[in-house]
Amino acid sequence: MTGERAYCFAADLGGTKLAAAIADARGSIVAELTEPTDPRGAASVAEQIAAGAEKLAKSIGIQVSRTRHVMVGIPGAIDPHSGRVSQIPNIAGLEDFDVLGFLRERFGAEVAIENDVNLAMLGEHALGCATRCRNAAFLSLGTGAGLGLLIDGKLYRGARGSAGEIADLPLCDPNAPIPAAGGTFELEVGSFAIVNRYRRQGGTAAATVRDIFRLLEQGDEVAASVLDTTAHYVALAVATLQSLLDLELIVFGGSIGVRPELYERVQRALIGLFSRPITIAPSQLGDRAGLIGAAWAAGQALRQQSAL
Amino acid sequence: MPPQPITSVTRQLSRRSVFEALLHRSPISRADLAKVTSLSKQTMSEVIDALEQQGLVRSVGRSSGNVGRTAVLYELSPEGGHVLGVDLGARRLTVALADIAGRVLAETDEPTDSRGGAWTLDQIARLADRLARDNHTHPSRIRSIVMATPGVVNPKSGAIEMAPNISGLEHLNVVALLGEKLGSPVVLENDINLALLGELWHGCAQNVNNVAFLALGSGVGLGLYINGRLVRGENGAAGEIGYLPIGGDPLQPECRMQGCLEYQVGATGVVRRYREAGGAEVESERQVFERAQAGDAMAADVVEETARLTALAAATVIATVDPQLLVLGGSVGARPDFADKVARLLLQLSARPVEIRTSTLGRRAGVVGALSVALRRLHDEVFGVAEFATTLPLPPPAQRSVHQ
Repeated sequence: MTGERAYCFAADLGGTKLAAAIADARGSIVAELTEPTDPRGAASVAEQIAAGAEKLAKSIGIQVSRTRHVMVGIPGAIDPHSGRVSQIPNIAGLEDFDVLGFLRERFGAEVAIENDVNLAMLGEHALGCATRCRNAAFLSLGTGAGLGLLIDGKLYRGARGSAGEIADLPLCDPNAPIPAAGGTFELEVGSFAIVNRYRRQGGTAAATVRDIFRLLEQGDEVAASVLDTTAHYVALAVATLQSLLDLELIVFGGSIGVRPELYERVQRALIGLFSRPITIAPSQLGDRAGLIGAAWAAGQALRQQSAL
Repeated sequence: MPPQPITSVTRQLSRRSVFEALLHRSPISRADLAKVTSLSKQTMSEVIDALEQQGLVRSVGRSSGNVGRTAVLYELSPEGGHVLGVDLGARRLTVALADIAGRVLAETDEPTDSRGGAWTLDQIARLADRLARDNHTHPSRIRSIVMATPGVVNPKSGAIEMAPNISGLEHLNVVALLGEKLGSPVVLENDINLALLGELWHGCAQNVNNVAFLALGSGVGLGLYINGRLVRGENGAAGEIGYLPIGGDPLQPECRMQGCLEYQVGATGVVRRYREAGGAEVESERQVFERAQAGDAMAADVVEETARLTALAAATVIATVDPQLLVLGGSVGARPDFADKVARLLLQLSARPVEIRTSTLGRRAGVVGALSVALRRLHDEVFGVAEFATTLPLPPPAQRSVHQ
């Protein structure tokens, strides 16, 4: 590298959407794009990521080879020892695909993968609403539920990379004081659960959570009741996190988590639920939190790399 | 101890590495020390001489060398200083004494003075004094004291909060008063955090980097050790899992006061649920467990439900924190019959099974953890290098010997 400015590449891979960016060595995004995720599964998605990098490089007039560090956010758990990815129901075949190997070969650069919600937490910590926090969480609510944890100022991934995989967080219904079964978080608040609950309560045709939010605006009472119930379970999860980790801030993100209609209901449901006040805030970076966190992390890794 | 000479950072680092080698490999010769630390023989001689003069190192005879040559062997001198660990429980007060090498010299316990407050502090001072004198150690040689207390030790104010089982401590400056009585700096730490550190040093969690310690006894609590550090949370309240919204409506007054989970699975909760189910009058949760084992169906139901709620709490820990090891401790939690039930239920509740062990130190866990922290503090005081902020690894438990 002879005085040529180095760049990094960041991507945030979701079940429905792929966001990608080229950032400078400080991790500031220079160009970005968003596309629907290729539905044909892992190999096609990996190609799509590489193609995205080509497009972005071209748009700012550089060679892809100038991207010296690559960071990709993945919607699942990454084993810190083996690098194996797991718990990815949304992208077919990704659990058996060597993402790191593929990207290393394509980019000829340092490549890292990280859980997408962890990157969103990093994004909020670096540039969003959690810049002053040492102990915080990013709670992502959308198709599924996930959690990124910042403990003592550092990202915490867990012994097997599964920290914050709260889809199977057991939640008990307080209306039945000592319930028979645990009930799990994602089964109560995932988008399928919300739509199903709406139908069970006799709501009219609603295919998606987006429909339910639209119906709510039109005064649909079933929609309001369904969101109240959802908010109640989310509030229980928030109280659970607070009791375990004593956090300063819990950031709400994800397609459902950032909706004020839900977020405000959670705030109401939290009143009196816990012995001490709990601070929650909607994501400041919104659906770009993961991408911004990825770019920031890539920039940081790039600087460490060149300092060696 | 005589004043230490002012030394350069290099000299301090040499002393520190010799100390570390002595801590882990005593008794050891100068030649072997030089090998282990990569210091020159001359530097080694200087360092050893200085440490010997300061009373930190002593010779303990000669090795039987292989070619007829023998060498003087060295070890850390117990005169280097002592540390005190205290575990202040609602029911029992335990005090233990160790030397600078981490050898536990003595340990004693008695029922906690039920009058609380200043009485409790007097009791601690009396017990510490007796323990030191019984071991021919002048109390002034105790240079570092750590005490385990229930409740939350606020890291900002140093106050003990939320410890309803010991009266009269919330308005006392415990750190200052106890430090004055004992003549040495006192550090307070949550009892469950220290029990966890005890298991890490001498117990069932040695060499594990991510550990969750779930204690169930008179109350319920969680200690978290993550990537080699205790997790305390923003206000020192991490692990206060009595407030988990499990087992009841968090909005009910009794749950708000005590916390939902603790209201059900704490000792008074177990006794209450047994009585509510129509069980006979019992004095303690232990009797409910004994009755369950003796075939009392009502008691068995209460125990089963306690295990289920505990398993639910453990499942929230596993989903959120992903520990490498879950340790069950406390007077109820470490009961093998109870721990088996919890482990079995967890298999149904948690998608990611985690290794579960029961505490091997039992009710000694807190005081052993207190000693480990007190030792680290003493080591840092004597051999710390300001520019070099890592702590020395503690010696392994093999060096432990209790003379009671």
